[in-house]
Amino acid sequence: MSSKKYKLSRRTFLRGMLGGSAIALGLPPLEAFFNANGTAYAVDGTFPKRFGLFFWGNGVLPDRWVPTMTGEEWELTEQLTPLASLRRDITVLTGLEVKTGNPVPHGSGPPGLLTGDGPLDRTGDFGNSTFKLPTIDQLMADEIGGETLFRSLEVGVEQGTTGLSHNGPDSINPAETSPAALFERLFGAEFRAPGDEPIIDPKLSLRRSVLDSVMDDSDRLRQRLGANDRIRLEQHLAAVRDLELRIARIEEDPPNLAACARPDAPPQLMDTDGRPPMRERSRVMSDLVTMAMACDLTRVLSFWFTRPVSNVLFPDITAGHHQLTHDEPGDQPQVNRIVISIMEDFAYFLESLRSVPEGDGTLLDNSIILGTSDVSYARTHQIDEYPIILAGSGCGTLRQGFHYRSTTQENTSLVSFSLLRAMGVPVSEFGVGPGRVTQGLSAIES
Amino acid sequence: MHRPSVRAAIAALFIFLLAGCGGGSSEESPPDDTGSTSNADVDAGDTTGGADTGATMVAEYPSEFEPGPTAMRRLTGPQFENSVHDLLGGGIVVPPLAEPDLPIGGLISIGASASSLGARGVESLESAAYAVAEQAMDTAERRAALVPCEPSGTVDSACAQAFVESFGRLAWRRPLEADEVTTIVEVADRAATELGDFYDGLEFAVAAILQSPHFLFRLELGEEDPDNPGQRRFTDLELASRLSFFLWNTTPDAELLQAAEDGELSTQEGLAAQAERLLESPRARLAVRNFFSEHLELYELDHLSKDPTLFEHYSSDLGPDAREETLSLMEHVVFDAEMDYRDVMTTRETFLNQRLAALYGVPAPTREGFGLARLPASGGRAGLLGHASLLSLHSHPVSSSATLRGVAVRTILLCQEIPAPPVNVDTSIPEPSGDTLTLRDRVAEHLTNRDCAGCHILTDPIGLGLENFDGVGRWRDTDNGALIDPSGELDREPFEDPIELGKVIREHPDFAPCLVKTLTRYAIGRLEADGEEEVMEVMAERFAATHDYRVKPLMIEIITSPMFRVTGELN
Repeated sequence: MSSKKYKLSRRTFLRGMLGGSAIALGLPPLEAFFNANGTAYAVDGTFPKRFGLFFWGNGVLPDRWVPTMTGEEWELTEQLTPLASLRRDITVLTGLEVKTGNPVPHGSGPPGLLTGDGPLDRTGDFGNSTFKLPTIDQLMADEIGGETLFRSLEVGVEQGTTGLSHNGPDSINPAETSPAALFERLFGAEFRAPGDEPIIDPKLSLRRSVLDSVMDDSDRLRQRLGANDRIRLEQHLAAVRDLELRIARIEEDPPNLAACARPDAPPQLMDTDGRPPMRERSRVMSDLVTMAMACDLTRVLSFWFTRPVSNVLFPDITAGHHQLTHDEPGDQPQVNRIVISIMEDFAYFLESLRSVPEGDGTLLDNSIILGTSDVSYARTHQIDEYPIILAGSGCGTLRQGFHYRSTTQENTSLVSFSLLRAMGVPVSEFGVGPGRVTQGLSAIES
Repeated sequence: MHRPSVRAAIAALFIFLLAGCGGGSSEESPPDDTGSTSNADVDAGDTTGGADTGATMVAEYPSEFEPGPTAMRRLTGPQFENSVHDLLGGGIVVPPLAEPDLPIGGLISIGASASSLGARGVESLESAAYAVAEQAMDTAERRAALVPCEPSGTVDSACAQAFVESFGRLAWRRPLEADEVTTIVEVADRAATELGDFYDGLEFAVAAILQSPHFLFRLELGEEDPDNPGQRRFTDLELASRLSFFLWNTTPDAELLQAAEDGELSTQEGLAAQAERLLESPRARLAVRNFFSEHLELYELDHLSKDPTLFEHYSSDLGPDAREETLSLMEHVVFDAEMDYRDVMTTRETFLNQRLAALYGVPAPTREGFGLARLPASGGRAGLLGHASLLSLHSHPVSSSATLRGVAVRTILLCQEIPAPPVNVDTSIPEPSGDTLTLRDRVAEHLTNRDCAGCHILTDPIGLGLENFDGVGRWRDTDNGALIDPSGELDREPFEDPIELGKVIREHPDFAPCLVKTLTRYAIGRLEADGEEEVMEVMAERFAATHDYRVKPLMIEIITSPMFRVTGELN
């Protein structure tokens, strides 16, 4: 049995919230609204489906990445070897191409894959491009994000990265790069583990009434704004509305998922020799977001290991990653080591999801993870031969454990379309212009 | 789609000249050869600090132009923090907004015209609002400073209303409408009832006011100009906000709001008088620092990545220290020395602490903090090009970069555009070996290969002029053991070394206008529209001829210019 979704209008919902009693417990609409949560799992054995994006900058070395054999017998190439233990859980897609053009080096692949459109390129403003459309994680959050405390969660490993999860132009959902801050946000004072009492605090209801006054107050303002500003205000108010929902949810019974428990606070991680502890930080983040998904705090994650054009100094490497992709001569042994190292951390993340049992399967089985980058071959900024790995079956909606090679340079939008459909977003098309598709990649759909 | 043209007639502009400005330069102003006949409004004799300039001809703004569209602006991170401090008290700890400022065209203030606040930003705004509201009400002193009445009991709607009206006016930068007051008073009353304390109620009122779009966004949308039907101008209250955020980077104070409510900002004199008042305040110094932090993209220095095994002077403090050097110099140039702005490219004066002095190999001017230092006259380091901030920012983690530095000079200092590198070309440069030891030798390919040279000829020769500074800005004579040749030319002006490169940039026809352009964009929060380029050219002429390249008078010029006061359509 899948959960029914009740579409309550914000007004209906809020009037319900503010119907009189200061303490919102027991207000009738809440149960209707939140029935996907809580004991439902234990009762009917269904688990929520999650999506995660794992992103790293500067691509791969295609001749050490792409397997020669296709189908289930694909061989582990040098750069895919770290994923050996996950061979049956992942699908390697090669030969696909971002079709939406390459006007901004490192800045064209991500919007092409994740929005189906090219970047909004501002003349003379290299490096400051933005996306024209929302990214697929946000399209999914629009559909399923309302079920959880956090409609989506964005984390980063490289310090200073904001990630690329876009609501639209110039509107990024910024990644949290501090493990301590992430811990506090997810598992701080407002966290309730299964079996904990719900929080009863009159301030929660008052906070909702404040947000309600903010929304009311904005209705008249909307009329005074031009079209662009109105969209920006709506984006802002949508976020205010999400926060109202979240506060209401804090007052509810916490989800009852067996694997959910409050984790330990993360350790402080320091740079060594000016080199950030990417591995340690990535693993701490992996552990935290795994538990966040195990506790059903969110169903939509993006994990920004490094950013496009990242120039991180990795341990035992003589220059920044991006600089090396251009300047390292020959077959780029150091770049190769960096990609392998990143795949080791990607494998850790996937293993972490797989270590959480859910019913007869694992959290990874109930997830779809998309691993990808900003380019294929960084030295020449190519966006054909795009690196894409899918992991998890999304509760059986995707096929796993094979290498699919496109011999006709198919559109990466096909993959995004399949992922959206697999996550329950009822799209009939995806992308714009050369990025537009009206179907998915049938090879990966089950 | 062709948009209907909105022509704003700028009638009867005063030519406003700042008395007593300038540093005593007696340079002759260039003669006006445009054939413009008269400037009847000019008071002769006060343009250059006492020199006899009765014949000064001032460039005129076009009699009509097409203003660009206006957009609401989100408070930037610093504006949010500054505003809360000014509204609730300087000692208050303000948690930052989780959503970072996004620069567009390098300027955060332009990004603020495009960004909003997403889920996490709103979440952080809420927690910040409660955190500061609680602090604001936690001591009797702070309450007394904010609340204009004594509550008669737990719930006192009249007193809550008095507070909401006075605090709300400051926070929203305008008087509140009656129903807006009512909504917030209801929030306060309900909270006071449920929590059993009047001031707990006010905490919720403060939190509501600070979470409102009326606080978070600067809604300077303009109004129909009654004197020029079909055209839009900013209201007095909107001008108060524009003035304050430009010159103070924070919310207007009570005096400025009062001046706006009294209609004083509609006149050039009233606007200029308030601008001069604001420029006298220490807040103006912080705002000028904020401007240069944006203009020179110094906010990026928080995330400097350098290999300390190669750069022994590198530590995580280098970025912030280097920023402080540059911002201290800019503050000095603008406020203390009131220097010719162009001299930032050549001055031997700078501000160093012990760490930077060691990096530069000069004596530290002070034991504690930063002090004014004079770099040796015989040395190769002078002006902005010798600052570790720009040098380290536009380098790689393990080396310098001729290209990155050249791009920075062109795009940041000269406001020129450089095309993005093409895709699908091999961009590697050879490792040092044999005769190819210096970066100049190694990037030779950039300058001879047809695919590369088109752009790299614009950038690399400039950056190669700075090769005596390594990836963190330390001086060196050799690169991989070979002597560095820093000579080159910039737009046909030859230079022998970084000192001369600084002089060439100082005299470059795009250098001073680039400041005018950037400062204006910063003030109005957007790029100029086509119809405004001519206005900016006039500003640049006045910056040179009338203001002797002094920055404070330029700021007044921008404020009193039509671009600051009228607006086009809603965005």
